[in-house]
Amino acid sequence: MTKNRALIWPAIIIGIALLALAVLYWVDSADALPSFIPGHEAGSGHHHIKHGIAAFVVAAACFIFAWFQTGPSSQGELT
Amino acid sequence: MVFAALITYFQAIVLGLLQGFSELFPISSLGHSVILPGLLGWDIHQNDNFFLAFLVATHLATALVLLGFFWSDWVRIVRGLVRSIRIREVRPDDTDAKLGWMLVVGTIPAGVIGLLLEHPLRHLFASATSASLFLMVNGFLLYGAERLRRRAPGPDQSVPDPDARIARRLNWRAALGVGTAQSLALVPGISRSGSTMGGGLLAGLSNEDAARYSFLLATPIIGAAAVLKVPVLFGHDGDGVRGQALVAAICSAVTAYIAVRFLMRYFHSNTLMPFAVYCGLAGVTCSAYFLAT
Repeated sequence: MTKNRALIWPAIIIGIALLALAVLYWVDSADALPSFIPGHEAGSGHHHIKHGIAAFVVAAACFIFAWFQTGPSSQGELT
Repeated sequence: MVFAALITYFQAIVLGLLQGFSELFPISSLGHSVILPGLLGWDIHQNDNFFLAFLVATHLATALVLLGFFWSDWVRIVRGLVRSIRIREVRPDDTDAKLGWMLVVGTIPAGVIGLLLEHPLRHLFASATSASLFLMVNGFLLYGAERLRRRAPGPDQSVPDPDARIARRLNWRAALGVGTAQSLALVPGISRSGSTMGGGLLAGLSNEDAARYSFLLATPIIGAAAVLKVPVLFGHDGDGVRGQALVAAICSAVTAYIAVRFLMRYFHSNTLMPFAVYCGLAGVTCSAYFLAT
């Protein structure tokens, strides 16, 4: 993994979007989700808790990735 | 209420022993938990809510055994992760940090795929017949992994530390691939440990290192899946099976411990071939039986 500072902000933005998506999954029922979001189901009161956890985990991964990209770009980087 | 009829203590003991044993052997615990009740004529199906609650306990027990068995390794790995976060880089000489992040990289896709697809796949492949057919496929996968490993570069035996060998041999892409291969185990009949051991072999690990990496990779995913479902065990679906689940968890812990001890020694000098043969033969035999009955 080589460090690329140009990826820091995209990773943070994607992370924030996924975090918002996670909250949406936890708060809204399947019926209330926007129709373009996976899991939308008209007339369903089910909350997609697991979808929310999945979105949260990937968001966390994005933030961690961004954090490592901010580190010193030493020659010791692993390939 | 006829909770006593849901699952007997005898069934709990058999299924617990089987779970701990088959979770770590590359022969698919989920497949066996579907096939065995079918063979014995037990009225237990993997999509029954009480059975899911029951399985939570056995999975949790297996994860705790793995965590305990590799406890000192996990302490080192977590320290490595914290160290790398603090300095914002993974130093090439920091084996624990690299191994830790490879486990994270491998766990995330498997976890996400599991969260999203576990339910539909469980319902799609719920029958004992499909589990038997996939057990046969699992046998072919194990056989293929052993055959194809010859093309991969061999392990560096000059490095005495197995974690260092793994960290040196696997790159991030391979770690991602090996971890994602765990998702195949969402299909009853395909083994999680078999998939990851096979992936490790293809990436150039020895049988011993592939088994070690597979068990390390298993701990967070089995543990997280079990913890996520603990509320099911203590909820309404767990009514009438908690005692049996506790007994099964103890049985599962015992066989899981024996299995991990045995396999770490076994793979020091042996291969996946016996498991490939077993899965192939058992898959063919059970498929024929279920299709005929």
